[in-house]
Amino acid sequence: MADDLLRVNGLSKSFGNGMVIQDFGLSVDKGDVIAILGPSGAGKTTMLRCVSFLERADSGTMIFDGKEYSLSSPSRHDVLEFRKKTGFVFQNYNLFLNRTALGNVTEGLIVARKMSRKDAEEKGMELLSRVGLQDKGNSYPSELSGGQQQRVAIARAMASDPLMIFFDEPTSALDPELTGEVLSVMRKLAEDGMTMLVVTHEMGFARNVSDRVVFMEEGKVVEEAPSEKFFSSPEKERTREFLSTIMNQN
Amino acid sequence: MTIPLTVISFAIAMVIAVVTALVQFAGIRGLKELARFYVWVVRGTPLLVQLFVVFYGLPNIGILIDPFPAAVLVFSINEGAYSAETIRAALEAVPRGQMEAGECVGMTYLQIIRRIVLPQALRIAFPPLSNSLIAMVKDTSLAANITVTEMFMATQRIVARTYEPLALYIEVGIIYLIFCTVLTKLQRVGEKRLGTYGR
Ligand SMILES: Nc1ncnc2c1ncn2[C@@H]1O[C@H](COP(=O)(O)OP(=O)(O)OP(=O)(O)O)[C@@H](O)[C@H]1O
Ligand SMILES: [Mg+2]
Repeated sequence: MADDLLRVNGLSKSFGNGMVIQDFGLSVDKGDVIAILGPSGAGKTTMLRCVSFLERADSGTMIFDGKEYSLSSPSRHDVLEFRKKTGFVFQNYNLFLNRTALGNVTEGLIVARKMSRKDAEEKGMELLSRVGLQDKGNSYPSELSGGQQQRVAIARAMASDPLMIFFDEPTSALDPELTGEVLSVMRKLAEDGMTMLVVTHEMGFARNVSDRVVFMEEGKVVEEAPSEKFFSSPEKERTREFLSTIMNQN
Repeated sequence: MTIPLTVISFAIAMVIAVVTALVQFAGIRGLKELARFYVWVVRGTPLLVQLFVVFYGLPNIGILIDPFPAAVLVFSINEGAYSAETIRAALEAVPRGQMEAGECVGMTYLQIIRRIVLPQALRIAFPPLSNSLIAMVKDTSLAANITVTEMFMATQRIVARTYEPLALYIEVGIIYLIFCTVLTKLQRVGEKRLGTYGR
């Protein structure tokens, strides 16, 4: 419990058409890599967006780094504080199109952190080389491949030395031959001890890199288990069904 | 007078347009409705009528404005409304995910707008705004109707003295054509310089 970094309690969210997340709970230890699996429409993205305040939940609370947050009506100050300690990687990268790769990484440091340009750029270059893009600092997003853009996005998320990074299907917008470079950056990040919450369809990543798997359906947790156990001996019938469909696809 | 009238009015119009577009884009209650109303009224009435209301109408309620400032006022308000629509559409065209990415790196809404969204929108809006500027050079001839001695008015006066309407009106037409050609060339250069980001 002492290592508990994130704990979500009673998260619910509905859109006009009905409940998307129902009384969802999750706890993440420091250094944990958690894979969130589930069929399309299970509410994985919505859960991740509610937890990162990109969407307002109907109800729910969260304890992050020892501080309690309301997920339904957080204060501006709380949201800013949370953002300083976390990073988010989007499915579609969402890079700033009017900034170079380096500019994307330094923007938050310069504007939100008030870091000097020189320090920010030094740090930015270091991060770009960690994701293997040291020679692409001056390229604009439109000049980069999808895999390169996503790696810039990961460097951008790492810039604030976050305690935790959220990923929403970071490889599913990529051509299959480009997913490897992104996954290997994520694997390295995991090995360096970063706490990560990753929504993914990459079974290899879930099985080999993540410590735990949370399987969601219809806005609820169906099964949660250490990765090895989840894949070798799942408990729920529904989980077995899901796994066999996925395995048959591959 | 044509050039200062155009330049001053267009500059003021740009300020009005950016503010009006941003207020609508950000959905600020109250101000948003006001902005819509402004755009609706201005775009729904002829420029000439607006000139007449301000210059010949307002004195009725004791507001007397000299011809030149009256023309600047009307042209800026008029152009402001049209350009606001152009800029608003450009703001909408900037991929929205960047705003969320900005939030996630800790930027405030205003910082995101100022540093990320607006620069991209202005680039998108540059060609249509240049077209508006070119149209405005010609529209300033309407100011002759409220006694501003811009190029067209000056021509009318010379015609009255010399009885050479065909030659003189063709000549003034050619001068407008030269102005607009120069501006079109500048627009091309501007578009090249701005380019797109990378590529
Ligand atoms: N902004 C929204 N407005 C209305 N309904 C929404 C909205 N966002 C999501 N939904 C609905 O919520 C449900 C869950 O969507 P969500 O995107 O969270 O699923 P997901 O598990 O991420 O699916 P996928 O694997 O396809 O990304 C879906 O039925 C979707 O239609
Ligand atoms: Mg999703």
